[in-house]
Amino acid sequence: MKEKADKKILYITALLIILAVSFVVSLSFGSVKVSVGDVIGAFVSPSTSPVSTTIIRDVRFPRVLAGFLAGAGLSVAGVILQGVMNNALASPNTIGVGSGAGFFVMLSLALFPGKVWLQPVFAFAGALFATLSIFALAYFADTSRITIILAGITVSSFLSAGINLIKTLDTDIALNINSFLIGSLSGVSLKDITIPGIFIAAAAIIAIFLAGALNILGLGDDVAASLGMRVSSVRFLLMIVSSILAGSVVSFAGVLGFVGLIVPHICRRIFGNDAKILIPCSILLGGSFVMICDLLSRVLFSPYELPTGIIMSFIGGPFFMYLLIIKKGGRRLNA
Amino acid sequence: MLEFKNVSVVKNGTALLKDINLSIETGKLTVFIGPNACGKTTLLQTLNGSSKVSKGSITLNGEDYLALPPKERAKKLSFLPQVHSVIPAIPVRTLVSHGRFPYLGFSRRSGDDDKHIVNEAMSKAGVDEYSGEGVDTLSGGVRQRAFIAMQLAQQSDFIIADEPTTYLDLPSKKMIVEIYSGLRDEGKTVVLVLHELSTALEIADRIVVMGDRKIVSTGTPEEIISSGIIESVFGATVKKFSDETGEYIVVM
Repeated sequence: MKEKADKKILYITALLIILAVSFVVSLSFGSVKVSVGDVIGAFVSPSTSPVSTTIIRDVRFPRVLAGFLAGAGLSVAGVILQGVMNNALASPNTIGVGSGAGFFVMLSLALFPGKVWLQPVFAFAGALFATLSIFALAYFADTSRITIILAGITVSSFLSAGINLIKTLDTDIALNINSFLIGSLSGVSLKDITIPGIFIAAAAIIAIFLAGALNILGLGDDVAASLGMRVSSVRFLLMIVSSILAGSVVSFAGVLGFVGLIVPHICRRIFGNDAKILIPCSILLGGSFVMICDLLSRVLFSPYELPTGIIMSFIGGPFFMYLLIIKKGGRRLNA
Repeated sequence: MLEFKNVSVVKNGTALLKDINLSIETGKLTVFIGPNACGKTTLLQTLNGSSKVSKGSITLNGEDYLALPPKERAKKLSFLPQVHSVIPAIPVRTLVSHGRFPYLGFSRRSGDDDKHIVNEAMSKAGVDEYSGEGVDTLSGGVRQRAFIAMQLAQQSDFIIADEPTTYLDLPSKKMIVEIYSGLRDEGKTVVLVLHELSTALEIADRIVVMGDRKIVSTGTPEEIISSGIIESVFGATVKKFSDETGEYIVVM
């Protein structure tokens, strides 16, 4: 037992180091390379190199922080959804929360052109709408985990059809929305991420407090009810928390794929299914993963830049196939 | 005493339970028997809220049981459902510690007392040697005992289990029946649903026979055997044999 605990401490330390290294490297590399010394100097004594300071503090830092928030938020949302549905294939995107946010953002662009500040509000409303639709659909059929997954797929395809409809009808939006639908952190400012960041931090803290309940839900509804849990209320609360996380991320990063699926799985393999450990570790690994993917998107074809979502899908796609073939849906994964 | 008064459950217009009136005596081992789909599970599910009572009331020692908050219910009465739908990939100790859920506060942090109770529960159910192993890697019998240990960690006076021996081999069934009989001997009130009629008639203090979503008969095993109800409900014959080692009931 002690050996296992030591191993976990070792892995968590490794995750913290990976996060720190990803953070510094992401700030350092890009179209203009900035030395690690200048990166640190930009925060400690900004007067040393004004150009580097501007690049680091005004351009890269908001973007790297956005990457961390996006990865952390989507990964925690993934842990929650996989636990709530007891299904390895659940994630904000596979059950339609991403499509919901995407569709609503497109609606805001179509109905209120030029009002950019509305996008985060609509993204959150869309994520919530998708969650509530899934929940309502499952409630009227039955609240089994399989039904919720099927309801999610149904809602997702319905909302994707809505996205395609707007793209077809409004070619201006179609031109501007591409990187949003793929997921990109290009041009993100501190202003863009302040409010979503607060939401993500608050929802992640709530998720940590609800980790014990998530573990109990993983035993099945009947057992959870017998242990004194209000199953429907807790499931609903957890889904709301996951939609706050996913909706907040979509508001500044667009529809980033796969991070909410693969990071929880990697963490499960290393740390087991205890949500009390899974959630903090998913924050660390998810944050690092998106930061690194975003760095690759900036430097691989420099000076051209790819949307972050493309790099993530290139990594996430094969992993998803692995899950389908090797794990056959991974029904036993739970918290 | 656990009392069901005129309890009915109706779902989508279908009556799943019809006017149940039943008293379960404290300190006894009561066994529910009956054919599949006769309402046994639905009746027990009214105790954890999985089946909503449409009419009637349930009282526990005179208190309105259904009005209690879920965690208070779970402290007084532990119900182990048929657990085969989800097999959690967590260590046995973690599973058993979930039995302390009704007692934990918002932070869900367990104290030394909780850890001691979890150790005792694992030892009583005979799963302490599997403490660090994954529940999903255990044999059916050990897994069921791990769930029973979780139930014991709830420290309730009323202990209820729905088909705890189904799909298990003979030694595992024997061990589980012994655990529940032992709990009765300690003064706990135990309620089991069993499909093995001979085991039910051997270990029970009281038998409840269900059929067609209602109570058909209740009584001691002797009363049930002599009433001929087993023959009419199950189409089976009950024979008693005795030799120098004791008396045996065989259902054919």
